[in-house]
Amino acid sequence: MASSSMEGSMPTMDEYEALLSTTDVELLKRAWRSEKAAPEILRYDFDLVGRVTEQLQLMEETVDEKSTSGADPLSLSLYQMDLDRTLFLLRSYLRIRIQKIEKYMFHIRKSDELWNRLSKGEKDFASRCIDDLKHHLEESVLSKLPENYQSVEKQSVISEEDDMVPEPRLDTFVLCRSKEYLSGIQLEDGPVEDRSKLFEMEPGVLYFICYKSIKPLVESGKIDLL
Amino acid sequence: MYGRKACELVKEFASVGKGQLTQYNSDLFEQVVAECSQHHLELQSLIRKMQEEGLDVQTARNADHYGALIHHLSLVRNKRCLMAYVNNRAEIIRSLLWKIGSVLPKEIEEKFSHTEEEYFNKYSGELKKYMSKMELDLTVDMVPPKDPYIKVRVLDDIGDGIVLSDKTANFARHSIHFLKRTDAEQFISRGLMEELTG
Repeated sequence: MASSSMEGSMPTMDEYEALLSTTDVELLKRAWRSEKAAPEILRYDFDLVGRVTEQLQLMEETVDEKSTSGADPLSLSLYQMDLDRTLFLLRSYLRIRIQKIEKYMFHIRKSDELWNRLSKGEKDFASRCIDDLKHHLEESVLSKLPENYQSVEKQSVISEEDDMVPEPRLDTFVLCRSKEYLSGIQLEDGPVEDRSKLFEMEPGVLYFICYKSIKPLVESGKIDLL
Repeated sequence: MYGRKACELVKEFASVGKGQLTQYNSDLFEQVVAECSQHHLELQSLIRKMQEEGLDVQTARNADHYGALIHHLSLVRNKRCLMAYVNNRAEIIRSLLWKIGSVLPKEIEEKFSHTEEEYFNKYSGELKKYMSKMELDLTVDMVPPKDPYIKVRVLDDIGDGIVLSDKTANFARHSIHFLKRTDAEQFISRGLMEELTG
């Protein structure tokens, strides 16, 4: 980056890439990738989705305008392709979240932290889904069991914890890359004597690591999952 | 042996390929439920027996206590199997909505139990509500688009009453069209068109 000022007005490749990496579409791509790779649900990026939605509308208008004004069909199809790709990203992002919510809805509902990662629409959707699935399980199974065994969350009345709730496995391994130099990462897996050693991460290098160890760094956006 | 029937039920679910559904086995299901009731009866009668003998149920560690414990654990295991059966089926039922749509072919619907049918319809409603709120149809565009247009062949007589976003056409059987991917996807998933590649 230091050389950029010397070369005058022509942006260097680095600069160009840096510029690209801050567009909303690129940010969405990053959020989408992380969401796809993380075993648990991540924070819903309300502002980002809002901005992308606005941009999509603008792009649609451009395409419409060009198609009625009889613009060059090639450039039109390029605009259309760009639009379609962004739309796919957005759809896929929301879809992955919905699927995670469905899978772990009881677990997400129990914890305020997880629950607040959902958007308003997702919360409404999740609440209704919980009611539906609960009703379905009660109707099919629980109402037919003896009284002390009818809870959705607990195996029986003597269970102290909720031991019937499916939870995401946070000890799975993920592929990740850091944007900056990070140190002092506590590993949560491997032999006990190794766990006291702190782990360092170089920027731009790929690591294959237990999700639990880097969970806070993913949540704060310091590490991207791939 | 205790718990064998429940195990069979789960195994039956797992015996078919991923994402596929077997016929809802209400017969075996009810047998497991009956086994649960039987366990509960025996559990209660053992506890009563201990009470009659003047033992403290919480602390006594005699043969009857362990007998009761086995009935309790068998019941819990059966419950987990039943729940796993219904819950995993529910997961597949939800995935069918994504893969096929809200109108399922008869062959699949026949495999549902009555409450599963109800659940599918409710779930379909919830998803529609969410999508209309987001003003975005999430069920299309399942694979990353390479080209906005794709070539498709019509596999069934779907007539000419269909209006797509940018044109109308006569979709006679075997005719080949060049359509917007988002328009064509719903027909492909319903088996009415196929994508021509290469």
